[in-house]
Amino acid sequence: MGNENQIVIERHGTVTLLDIKGDVTSASESFFSQAYANPDASGARGLVLNFSEGAYINSGGIAVLIQLLAKTNKTKQKVGITGLSDHFKKIFKMVGITRFATIYDSVSEAISAL
Amino acid sequence: MKEVPVHISLPSVLGYERIAMECAASFAKLKGFQPDKVDDLKTAVSEACMNAIEHGNRCNAGSNVLVIMQFNEGELLLWVKDEGRGFKHKPEEPNIERKIMRLQTPRGLGIFLIKRLVDHVDFDAATDRGHAVHMRLSLPERMASNAVFK
Repeated sequence: MGNENQIVIERHGTVTLLDIKGDVTSASESFFSQAYANPDASGARGLVLNFSEGAYINSGGIAVLIQLLAKTNKTKQKVGITGLSDHFKKIFKMVGITRFATIYDSVSEAISAL
Repeated sequence: MKEVPVHISLPSVLGYERIAMECAASFAKLKGFQPDKVDDLKTAVSEACMNAIEHGNRCNAGSNVLVIMQFNEGELLLWVKDEGRGFKHKPEEPNIERKIMRLQTPRGLGIFLIKRLVDHVDFDAATDRGHAVHMRLSLPERMASNAVFK
């Protein structure tokens, strides 16, 4: 239920941007898995996950993100996160996501840093 | 004197928690809560309703989740009631390292978040028809004195 995701994949040198459109819930799992299965994502040195402004993210969506971070941690890929509101920055820190990914203020900043 | 409570009844369909979440946000704004507190409440209500839908009512659309909100002496009181029996076992405390190592399910974050986002929560409030989660969020004193009582 709810709007479906669309994840646009853009390669920027050794870094790949996953531009995540829509809300992030447990229903997003297949979209994230599919996006990560793309060699541009799974083979990149760094990944930037850009969330939509004002997106609804619940614990089911955070679980989907944790599953993705389990994969990137295994392959030692660096992960940057952008597009989060102050509230979700706080939530991601609270849950511990920031131990496995760095939050940046903009996509360009994240791409340069990774 | 306590204000008259607001009641919202939801069918147990995942996604409908957002109706309660937006209503709670409107209610909190009306009572003078600041945007950061409103955001905290939205996440807490959404997570409590999802637990009620998924675990309490096992996604049986015919079973209702009842959300009751009331403002009393500077506090927003909120109950999320389902038709289940509550927690059989206390969920394991989430540990991000264990989740990343796949030693713990990636899920199970709802209760953890609720505990950290509201001032008080009771997960074992019994009701006549099942189980309830009771949450309380206080308005800072300065704001409480300016709150609009309607």
